[in-house]
Amino acid sequence: MNEASLIGLCAATVSFGALLYLAALGEMVSEKAGILNLGVEGMMAMGAVTGFMTALEFGNPWLALVVAVLAGALVALLHGWFTVVLGAEQVVSGLSLTILGLGLAAYLGKNAVGRPPGAVLAPVDWPVLSDIRWVGPVLFQQSPMVYLSVLVGVVVWFVLSRTRTGLALRAAGESASTADAAGHSIVGLRLAAVAVGGGLAGASGAYLTLSLTPQWAEGITAGRGWIAVALVIFGAWKPGRVALGALLFGGTLALKTRLQTFGVDFSPILLSMLPYLLTIGVLVVISVRARNRPSPAPASLGIAYRREER
Amino acid sequence: MNRPVLVRREQALRGGQPLSFAIGLVVALTIGIVLLLGAGHDPVAIYERMFVAALGDPDSWSVTLNRAVPLGLAGLAVAIAGSMGLWNIGAEGQILAGAMMAAGVARIGEGWPGPVLVTAILVGGVLGGSLWALGPAVARSQIGVNEILTTLMLNEVALRLAQWLIHGPWKDPDSFNFPLAPMIPDHGRLPTLFGRAHVGVIVALVVIALFAVAVNRTAWGFELRVAGSSGATARYAGISLERKTATVLVMAGGAAGLAGGIELAGTADRLTEGISNGFGYAGIIVAALALMRPSGVAAVAVLFGAVQIGGQSIQTMGVSSSVSTILQALILFGAIGAGVLSRYQVRMVAGDPGGDVVELGEAR
Repeated sequence: MNEASLIGLCAATVSFGALLYLAALGEMVSEKAGILNLGVEGMMAMGAVTGFMTALEFGNPWLALVVAVLAGALVALLHGWFTVVLGAEQVVSGLSLTILGLGLAAYLGKNAVGRPPGAVLAPVDWPVLSDIRWVGPVLFQQSPMVYLSVLVGVVVWFVLSRTRTGLALRAAGESASTADAAGHSIVGLRLAAVAVGGGLAGASGAYLTLSLTPQWAEGITAGRGWIAVALVIFGAWKPGRVALGALLFGGTLALKTRLQTFGVDFSPILLSMLPYLLTIGVLVVISVRARNRPSPAPASLGIAYRREER
Repeated sequence: MNRPVLVRREQALRGGQPLSFAIGLVVALTIGIVLLLGAGHDPVAIYERMFVAALGDPDSWSVTLNRAVPLGLAGLAVAIAGSMGLWNIGAEGQILAGAMMAAGVARIGEGWPGPVLVTAILVGGVLGGSLWALGPAVARSQIGVNEILTTLMLNEVALRLAQWLIHGPWKDPDSFNFPLAPMIPDHGRLPTLFGRAHVGVIVALVVIALFAVAVNRTAWGFELRVAGSSGATARYAGISLERKTATVLVMAGGAAGLAGGIELAGTADRLTEGISNGFGYAGIIVAALALMRPSGVAAVAVLFGAVQIGGQSIQTMGVSSSVSTILQALILFGAIGAGVLSRYQVRMVAGDPGGDVVELGEAR
């Protein structure tokens, strides 16, 4: 193991961490408003394919990113319509969204498979900072999506914890009837949160096909949407902790392809189980602790709100 | 100002569920036509090919029925848990675990006589699936850990465990270094019924029927449904929720695991990482369309089997098989939408709605 490969590992940890962080932040916003969306994998795939194809068509990576965000938000609103407006089961609707998104992405992207990208989100080379030994290559030569994810994290934290809108949104997820009585529109708040969640999942998908990989293939999301769902739990619905978790889980993704170069005799496949096993561990800890203190999960998470049953 | 509101019908429309299902199918096929036209395909020719390939003759039926087996058992695995108000999202992992255990049995029992080996493989499948559900079952019943998330996480773990086995300890030495598990012995394969249909079709049907009777017609099933509708009532009636939760989830895992064993000995013939090709997730849609009733999953599974087999057949026409994936999800979305309308009606009202009226957005 030499210095260069260790720096490479750290840089990849940050890249993968940002990918997971974007999608997890979106899922967190949605869950904070009380809507569990298990469609992350599908929304991510839609963002990945629409972003890649927009870049092919127009050659502009930023336009591609915008389209990916809109595509993610649009399919998320399908989940929103069924769960928030019609009160359908969130688990079923979300999983169907994953299936629909993966299928639709494969269908739309059929002719884009194997093609070189039309445009990429090239790494930003920060003046002065990027030359710092160790820190430069790890933190200051990354894709713009990495910096964007940090910015989004700060904005999400600020909005959720420091603004009235955030308070209303959390109220919709903790106690919808209270928020309703206080004059907030539960339908509006929840739909908005679901759309934001879809948009961020779409952005995460675009990061994959416009920067990290960058190409389109069916199944390119490779279960990372599920890791994002896990991350929200692992991070106890707090933007800061989710960020730490994203780095940890991103680290396992980065390490997976590098174990052999480091001469470690451990199966990379077994290593990739770690995020899921850690999350199960956290779930158990949360439940054991729940006997003495409240669970960090939003209280109304997964429950449809019906005014008649208030 | 007039605005639309959903008004609860005094009684849900009779035959609402089959009707919603049919509407879902029509909606899905219609959107499918738009998608196919958009890509410059001929929708009529493609739907015709799908229908013929899936249901055109006994041979096609045999393939469709084979596919309905894992879908139906996965649907059952979701519906058994759903009867008690639990969410088993883990059928995908439980199928894989069943297939892994069954493959392990096939390795040990190479020298056993055919009927013994076949039985042992299927029992191995049930055991594997049950074991995979045991963790979430105990965690849920003893400490109240959310079973949606644990079973979901374990899907990804099972997938990687299967990959590890195939790439590592179980890699076939004769596979020229390809990551392939060895074939199971010939006498361990399921006997065929007709065409390509195997005995697994009957096994699955019997298991689904048994659970349908158990849930609908026995005291055990009654307690299950009481516990599902109200935990407090169940406790008051002296039903042990902890024990029931654990047994129900383990049974659900066993049903899905059986599908894994049947797939191994019936169609795949070797352990592959794609042996549960999304069957577990499709099973959730199947169960949802069957309204979480074990009695309904068989029919829905045959329809979904037909959609999947039809979808595979159109690849030769240059159409992506993802069309069938899209159709499956759209059938569900269409049916959910129609289901709401069978219980509510839309009325335009002026101003403030009064009486037994819910606003659009609070309906269920």
